Amino acid sequence: MEKVTVDTMVGVLDKRMHRQLKQYLDICARCAICKDACHQYVGTGDFKYLPARRAELIRQVYKKYFTKTGQFVPALYEARDPDDNLLQELYESTYGCTGCRRCMYFCPFSIDTAWIAAVAKGMLIAAGHGNEMLGQLADAAIFKGDSPEMFHDVLVEGFKGIEAELRDETGDDTIEVPVDVKGAEMLYVGLAGSHTIKPAARIFHAAGQSWTLSLYEAANYGLFFGDGEKAKKIAKRFIDEAVELGVKEVVITECGHAYRVAKIFYESWAGEKLPFKVSHILDVIDRFMAEGRLELKPGAIAEPITYHDPCQVGRNGGLYEAPRRIVTAIAADFRDLTPNRAEQWCCGGGGGLVALTDMNDMRLKSGAKKVEQIRATGATVIASPCENCRLQMEDLVNEYDLDLKVMAVMDLVVEAMD
Amino acid sequence: MELYLEITSIWGVYLGIAVFIVGMAWRAYQWATTPRSPVALGMFPKPATGAGRFTKMLKDTFIAPQSAKIEPVMWAFAFLFHIAALAAFVGHLRLVQEFTPLKDMLGTQGMNEFAAWAGGIAGTIMMVAVIFWILRRTFGPYKQLSVPEDYLLLFLLLGVIIMGNHMRFFGIVHSETYMEWFRSLMVFKPEIPAEILATTTGWSLGTHMLFTTLFLIYFPFSKLTHAMGAFAANMTRSE
Repeated sequence: MEKVTVDTMVGVLDKRMHRQLKQYLDICARCAICKDACHQYVGTGDFKYLPARRAELIRQVYKKYFTKTGQFVPALYEARDPDDNLLQELYESTYGCTGCRRCMYFCPFSIDTAWIAAVAKGMLIAAGHGNEMLGQLADAAIFKGDSPEMFHDVLVEGFKGIEAELRDETGDDTIEVPVDVKGAEMLYVGLAGSHTIKPAARIFHAAGQSWTLSLYEAANYGLFFGDGEKAKKIAKRFIDEAVELGVKEVVITECGHAYRVAKIFYESWAGEKLPFKVSHILDVIDRFMAEGRLELKPGAIAEPITYHDPCQVGRNGGLYEAPRRIVTAIAADFRDLTPNRAEQWCCGGGGGLVALTDMNDMRLKSGAKKVEQIRATGATVIASPCENCRLQMEDLVNEYDLDLKVMAVMDLVVEAMD
Repeated sequence: MELYLEITSIWGVYLGIAVFIVGMAWRAYQWATTPRSPVALGMFPKPATGAGRFTKMLKDTFIAPQSAKIEPVMWAFAFLFHIAALAAFVGHLRLVQEFTPLKDMLGTQGMNEFAAWAGGIAGTIMMVAVIFWILRRTFGPYKQLSVPEDYLLLFLLLGVIIMGNHMRFFGIVHSETYMEWFRSLMVFKPEIPAEILATTTGWSLGTHMLFTTLFLIYFPFSKLTHAMGAFAANMTRSE
């Protein structure tokens, strides 16, 4: 590998060398307790997916370039220069990582392997080995944010079409899909397509909530790609919109990573305090229910149903109970997965993996634990507030021949409203 | 043997302790002067208060309940090893200062018996744990993941422990003599007591100290800095 490439990669590592990363790289005991925490390692048995191994590749470069002992006796740490083999394995193990952080949960030192993987992606991008698909999706989103005039009218027209469909479907001519409403209380950020907009519009309408729909989708391919700047630009689109409209609350749809970006990451990326609250739509629905603003039929969902905690909503976002309160309020037969909440198995679809066709095989194998969990409950419906989880679980239904309907929690709520 | 003991059990001790202290301070300094990640890396659930988070950090570090749940056997060995190592460390403090109240309570004979049992048990537990870890690194993913550093540290530890146990189980020299030796080091008038030189225990002590010196010297440059780092990293978990 050319020296300039090596230098660039080492430079990226240096730039992103924060205290926690340094500690993670210094202290890992390679005890491999993380081994059985990772759905990908458990599902495939492939060494490169063992969490400590993913970090070890970065550690080898770190030892060589950032420690005296690594320079003095490289053999002791297997310290080395990044080469083509390292790059190839790093690509597979870091773009393969869903960022669920289940390994961090079980690690005696709480080493955040997903964060090390994020730094590794930055190094891969610098070496020209970033994932092209994710990079292009991120760029497209940024382009949309940079040239709103090109997209605005088309988008608004589309939203009006969704509104017309909704009115048709419900027979209620007062339902709205409001856009660009200055002074609205909430800005709702959905995903591309009508499936996240329709149920939310009905719920807001039923609760009498003042809201407006964002022109931008919540999904953030910049985060999956591993480029912090891109990720920030993508999120900034709806953050700026919220500031301009003067809303009090930004509500993220049933999407895991977008929620974490808006709730946990954005303020530190931007280095500023946001002038509004950030919530997940299920938090808002839970609030509506508590305030008596949303009438839902208890037991409206008759089939046995279970709930999957998306990693970015649960373990990494802190939302465990609100979704369960909603589901149990409307389900006749709720059966939680085991384990659940902080110990929930990742479904295998996160980290942008559902968009990466070259990793399909691994992704489907990595869902084995999730399938086992679902089968054990005997549920025929699974609800999960994350698009990537739902796409993955739909693929698992086909791959493993499950008798299972995969649903968004909002859709269940709408069913219980009728 | 005199030269061997002079190198390992006099100059080695000074060197080992100096490198250990300076090295660990240097490592702590390096961490402290590297800027923290601007992004919060914590995970949920996390306690709402600072005191709660601190308590959780201590629990995660000293008990590691999550690790116990996912790999109980490995956890048990790690937990027992660390408890035994702590006990052994505390026991060695007798070299610095006799535990007079305890000795008054138990009597000289009783104290020696207690030390023999406590030290023997701690030494045996540590030896079994280290052998377990060495064996664990000889197969499958554990072997694939291991680097020479892992084996070197386990080998050094095994040397320290086996020679310590050798003195404990087969030694004929009593603690008073070791105290005499160690206190001479503390006042910088190092001397090897004649009783040690006159017996084969000298070889055991010298070798115990050789491994200990090497272990202490390498400690700050190895993954064993988790002795400090685990607290910091587990704090990050709850932030």
